[in-house]
Amino acid sequence: MSRQAERTARPPAPPPPPRPAAPRRARTPWRARTAAWRDQHFYGFFSSLGRLAARPWATALTVFVLGFALALPLLFFLAFDNARSLSAGLREAREVTVFLQPAQDVRAAAALADELRARADVLAVQLRTPEQGLAEFRQLSGFGDALDALDGNPLPSVLVITPRIEADADQPALLAALQADARIDLVQYDAAWRRKLSGILGFGERVVVVFAALLALATLLVIGNTVRMDIQGRREEIAVMQLIGASNGFVRRPFLYAGIWYGLLGSTLALLIVALAELALAGPIERLQASYGARFALHGLDPWAALAVAGGAALLGWLGAYAVTTRHLAAGRPRA
Amino acid sequence: MLRFDNVSKRYQTGLDALAEVSFEIEAGEMVFVTGHSGAGKSTLLKLVGLAERPTRGVITVNHVELSRVRGGGIPQLRRGIGMVFQDHRLLLDRSVFDNVALPLLIAGSPREETAKRVRAALDKVGLLAREKAAPQTLSTGEQQRVGIARAIVAKPPLIIADEPTGNLDPQLSIEIMNLFAEFGEHGTTVLVASHDLFLLKRMNKRVLVLDHGRLIDDFRPQAQAS
Repeated sequence: MSRQAERTARPPAPPPPPRPAAPRRARTPWRARTAAWRDQHFYGFFSSLGRLAARPWATALTVFVLGFALALPLLFFLAFDNARSLSAGLREAREVTVFLQPAQDVRAAAALADELRARADVLAVQLRTPEQGLAEFRQLSGFGDALDALDGNPLPSVLVITPRIEADADQPALLAALQADARIDLVQYDAAWRRKLSGILGFGERVVVVFAALLALATLLVIGNTVRMDIQGRREEIAVMQLIGASNGFVRRPFLYAGIWYGLLGSTLALLIVALAELALAGPIERLQASYGARFALHGLDPWAALAVAGGAALLGWLGAYAVTTRHLAAGRPRA
Repeated sequence: MLRFDNVSKRYQTGLDALAEVSFEIEAGEMVFVTGHSGAGKSTLLKLVGLAERPTRGVITVNHVELSRVRGGGIPQLRRGIGMVFQDHRLLLDRSVFDNVALPLLIAGSPREETAKRVRAALDKVGLLAREKAAPQTLSTGEQQRVGIARAIVAKPPLIIADEPTGNLDPQLSIEIMNLFAEFGEHGTTVLVASHDLFLLKRMNKRVLVLDHGRLIDDFRPQAQAS
């Protein structure tokens, strides 16, 4: 006890300068350090794989949830993307289609066509006689027999007018002139319903973005929650590792890898689902387009987009795991 | 090597686990901490391993003042301390070898060196033949020895053990303690918490006696006092 009293009586010595944190590491050559870094990543890589393989059912369930969550926005996107490419052909169609009164014969139609060609705001006029129209209709509709039963040709002459104006604007002067013309029965201008279509497509695009954002968030949460449960199951292991000097990075690494694995496996499944959906739809769409003339071909995800999906999902998995482990690692800090 | 200056610890529950404890342990010393249960033995060891922070006072481990150790320095400091737990705390999904190798993996030592040192540590605790075994297949005494091998494998200058023989029979306890004493002879400082008075008498080493968080005795055996 006297020793102790003596010590307490001594004036407090100034604290010695703290030693450099890692005197050993500073002397290790870079080659050894890279080797250690590599070994630790190997450890994280393989131990995370081992953990997933150790619980195949739980892993499969998580991967399925992720797969469907990721497949939904992808399918939406594909449907939208196909609709857009379909409409791209229509976007260029700025023709004004004019149906003449049935009373106007082909000669009168040709005269009107010449008259219109003389206008400054008209680039070209194409005349389709009732006979041409009938032949085309017979070919496309498959109502050949029914048409044969008709007495005469019920179709009017049609003029397809290409306006000169390049800009995506209406042609009020031309349209007004056409509509006022008594020889003309109906003026059909593609731009009007094209505007409606772009409105619908704009809406579709927004829907895809919103769905993608919501389901990306769902992916983040599913992976985060799975990793959180994994952490709960390994609480003791983490505590021991922290006590024997594991850095946060060391403890975290296997979980981050697990998050990446979940993302990659989930996105692979999602791409598989999308491929299967394409396969299932390809047949009916082919039949549909065969009956309408091959104007539209269904296209799937290109390889770069597929890679981007996988990479994005892996990143989401990493993020989810990172957020959850950060929250848990605080438990290893010294308690005040 | 290890120094406590007027260290007090009050838990958030209001419990005073340690009150104004001061002592100093030289390098290579083997010291026991004893006292009734709840006297503060575990708290004292937790403060050394930075599992807890003291409410007051200064703790110095290997010339490093613990209050200055923060963030990434904490794992770094813990790597310099070999910890042995009463319930061994081995990772049950890994082999004996992998358990012992863990501190070296954490510290990032090269693979060849790791294998060499793990086998040396297992040899020291007499379990070299069991390196591939799963921890559950070992007896309690063997598990504890694996825990000790894990604590010494990185050759830390300080070993702290909280009731390392709490679950063992007297004969095994003596063997384990002799193992610790052996490390002390190689220059490692060893701090062991134990309430086994028979064992303390038998080992004949310096003993710090805690009572309700106060250090009431610092007993040094005659043969060792200089």
